[in-house]
Amino acid sequence: MFIISFLVRRLAQGALIIFLVTLLIFTLLRVVPGDPVRLMAGGMAPEALIEQIAKEMGLRDPVLVQFGRYMSGVVRGDLGQSFVRPASGASTGGSSFGDATRGERADVLTLIGETLPMTLQLAFLAIVFAMLFSFLVGIPAGLSPGRWPDKVAFYVSSIFISLPGFWLGIVLALLLSVKLGWLPAIGYKGFAYTILPAIVLAVELSPVLIRTLTGSISSAMMMPFIAVGRVRGLSQRRIIFAHALRNASVPLLNLLGIQISGLLGGVLVIEFIFDYPGLGLLTINAVLQRDFPLIQGIAIVTSAIFVLINIAVDLIATLIDPRLEY
Amino acid sequence: MNSSPVLSVKNLGVEVGTGAGARPVLSDVSFDLAPREIVGIIGASGSGKTVLARALVNWIDPPLRISSGSVEYKSQNILDLAGGRMRLLRREIAYVGANPMGALDPTLPVGRQIVEKLSAVVPGIDPSEARKRVIDLLGAVRIPSPRLRFDEYPSQFSGGMMQRALIVDALISNPAFLVADNVTQPLDVTVAAQVLRLMRELTERFDTAVVFVSSSLPTVKEAADQVLVLSEGRIVERNTPQRLIDAPQHPYTLQLISQIPKIWTSEAVAVPRTPNAARPTISIRDATRTYLVRKRGTFAAHSEVRAVRNVTFDVMPGENFGVVGESGCGKSTLMRLLSRLEFPDSGSVICDGQDLSKLRGKMLLKFRRDFQLVLQDPFNSLPPRTSIGAILEDPLRVHGMRNAKEIRDRVLAVMAEVELPANLYDELPLGLSAGQRQRVNVARAMVLEPKVLIMDETLSSLDQTEQFRLLALFEKLQAQHGLTYVFISHDLAMVRRVCNRVAVMYLGEVVEIADNERLFFDPGHPYTKALLSAVPTLEERRYKPEDCLLEGEPPSPIDLPPGCSFASRCPHAFDRCHAESPTLTVRNHGESAACFLVERQGARAAA
Repeated sequence: MFIISFLVRRLAQGALIIFLVTLLIFTLLRVVPGDPVRLMAGGMAPEALIEQIAKEMGLRDPVLVQFGRYMSGVVRGDLGQSFVRPASGASTGGSSFGDATRGERADVLTLIGETLPMTLQLAFLAIVFAMLFSFLVGIPAGLSPGRWPDKVAFYVSSIFISLPGFWLGIVLALLLSVKLGWLPAIGYKGFAYTILPAIVLAVELSPVLIRTLTGSISSAMMMPFIAVGRVRGLSQRRIIFAHALRNASVPLLNLLGIQISGLLGGVLVIEFIFDYPGLGLLTINAVLQRDFPLIQGIAIVTSAIFVLINIAVDLIATLIDPRLEY
Repeated sequence: MNSSPVLSVKNLGVEVGTGAGARPVLSDVSFDLAPREIVGIIGASGSGKTVLARALVNWIDPPLRISSGSVEYKSQNILDLAGGRMRLLRREIAYVGANPMGALDPTLPVGRQIVEKLSAVVPGIDPSEARKRVIDLLGAVRIPSPRLRFDEYPSQFSGGMMQRALIVDALISNPAFLVADNVTQPLDVTVAAQVLRLMRELTERFDTAVVFVSSSLPTVKEAADQVLVLSEGRIVERNTPQRLIDAPQHPYTLQLISQIPKIWTSEAVAVPRTPNAARPTISIRDATRTYLVRKRGTFAAHSEVRAVRNVTFDVMPGENFGVVGESGCGKSTLMRLLSRLEFPDSGSVICDGQDLSKLRGKMLLKFRRDFQLVLQDPFNSLPPRTSIGAILEDPLRVHGMRNAKEIRDRVLAVMAEVELPANLYDELPLGLSAGQRQRVNVARAMVLEPKVLIMDETLSSLDQTEQFRLLALFEKLQAQHGLTYVFISHDLAMVRRVCNRVAVMYLGEVVEIADNERLFFDPGHPYTKALLSAVPTLEERRYKPEDCLLEGEPPSPIDLPPGCSFASRCPHAFDRCHAESPTLTVRNHGESAACFLVERQGARAAA
């Protein structure tokens, strides 16, 4: 019963958030200078034709009317069509002007549907790497504050946080795939292509995770029930794994919620460097091409992911610590 | 007793720090604990009693260090035992501490953690058998509906319930001896009395010997067969409780005994009756304050927490007015209403003839000046990074003083008045003792020359000696400035010493208002009697706990049962008490109690 009411309440809030984000993006995109029709039709297209296309596409209606039309599509699961990309593949636009291809522009939903799983796979693997590494380094550090594991954790996270992701990506690609040939780097032809970008992302994620884990474990170990637990006869292993980690996991979870959201921004650069066909690469191209429907679609999908992740994080946190109330 | 002792402590010494800087905390402590015996250990704060309690269960962590001696159990020194072997001995050596709320993991159900402990010290026990044993024992410590309580979390337990659960946790493995370190200290007096009785009963049932550590001699007297007096880490006296109290030998014991407040004996201070005055300084009329709390697991449903219900009383100018009650009775909410931090939902608070809810602008500033608040916690109520002078200057600036020299002079004058040395002006509050911090708090209130000071548990965190000094200071300030004091407190002994009139609160209601003498010698409400029966004192009790209070704790202020709120714990309750709620009935001029029995007596007297 608690879980149902929690989900209903939070999902309703989430829907409102997504709606507001969509409205904001929609209006901003229409206010910025630059006419997408000019880009679509090409620089050489006559002015009258551009006006005609724009009218046909409804781009000259008031913003609110356009937004209403768009939202009625969204609730039916239709995110519209790309301005630029044809259903067949490579992007059109530029200087050539061919009216014939305009009818078969790619569905935004399909474009996102093709790239999102790739990005999720990358993000998931990055989180797995980051968590494994942070637990290995952070738990011993939290258990012995001030001694060498703590110092190791501090130095490692200081170094990691100072490494720029784009630089590390290039260096690792050079080292691991060009020189040593262990891992493939550019493009995507199988799961192995995910590993290298995931490592780079994990290096970016782990410093904050390590610091939080170290801090929350060492403060959990200071809690009175830990010391009393020993006197009550619990073994050190049980105290650490059943009680200290459990109590330390709530701050870590909250952080993870924020980090995952940040990760979806972090993939932009990394996917671009590794030419990884994910949502990040799609976003960059969509922005460069002023592909409004695609940008909007990506914005809606990513904000929905943010909202869902945070709901999940809060739900898990309340299940771990019943005192929390969201 | 002829049998060999369960536990034998020999020349135990503990020190803090290492090498040349080491300072002894305990030295040369020796005693034996016979089977089924209860040994009480008493000492003021800092006497080393908690360290001793921990040493007995081999819980000495750095910077503390065992410097000499042994703690022998089954003819082996447990202080030498390595982790693993010691852990198995935990089955026979149990410990209950002073902080029940922190003792269990807040994220797991209480019952599961007790089962966890049982299976840790008795490896291989059948889980369903363990669960059954825990539920049985939870019932034995009179936790209502133990089967449901088993699956509840620590935060859903009150302090008293939690302490009961921890006693279960300690006794579940049938230990040979139990170390109880200040177990009743954080509990309300009526609950503490019950927990104490229960512990005695259970240790008898399980044949457990007990080391009972406490800072309260009256409590130890109730519990122990033998008392050791600990002073500066040494045992200075040992005797049976009665002989110790009747004929104390060591000056430290004498001092401990002299500090125990007097309630009924002739040595108790006589507090004068309230002076008559035309208009009350504070008049609270039928005030009610309800908080809404969202119900967990529902969409929009709220529970009402009725923190203060229909409270009416007057405080006269120049009076010491006491408000007493146990935790959760609405004292703090009442303080928030009196100091205009919140408004009552209905009813009104009238100060100096002005309704607080209507005050605005200049009038409000004047009210703030005249009515000052002194808070409970000496540590969190002072900003740690502000010098004491600046803390005391602040109110003056808020109230419009601009001349730096005048401000400084005024602050120094107030510091002198509360007996704070002037050289503290530029110091941070960091190094101050609790007593000095409370003086800063009083000075901060006094600097504006108020008419009324509202003291919310101001003295609770201080030890007896410091309490005496501050009370003397309050008296002096009252004589000089004609102050009115409202003491909000749970400490009946303190109230007995200083208050002219006292209001007793229970679950948000004032159940009795009376003059000091009348309240302590002839209370009208059964709850007042129950409170008096549980006051820690060495005097012969006018009221026996067994006659005054039924087992149990106050009902939750959420969803109050109909009828008198005390009916569930009242030994005199009858049918009418469960159906309708009694209102304050006048017993005498200015004295009233909310009990149907008072009505009856009144009717009988009239007939």
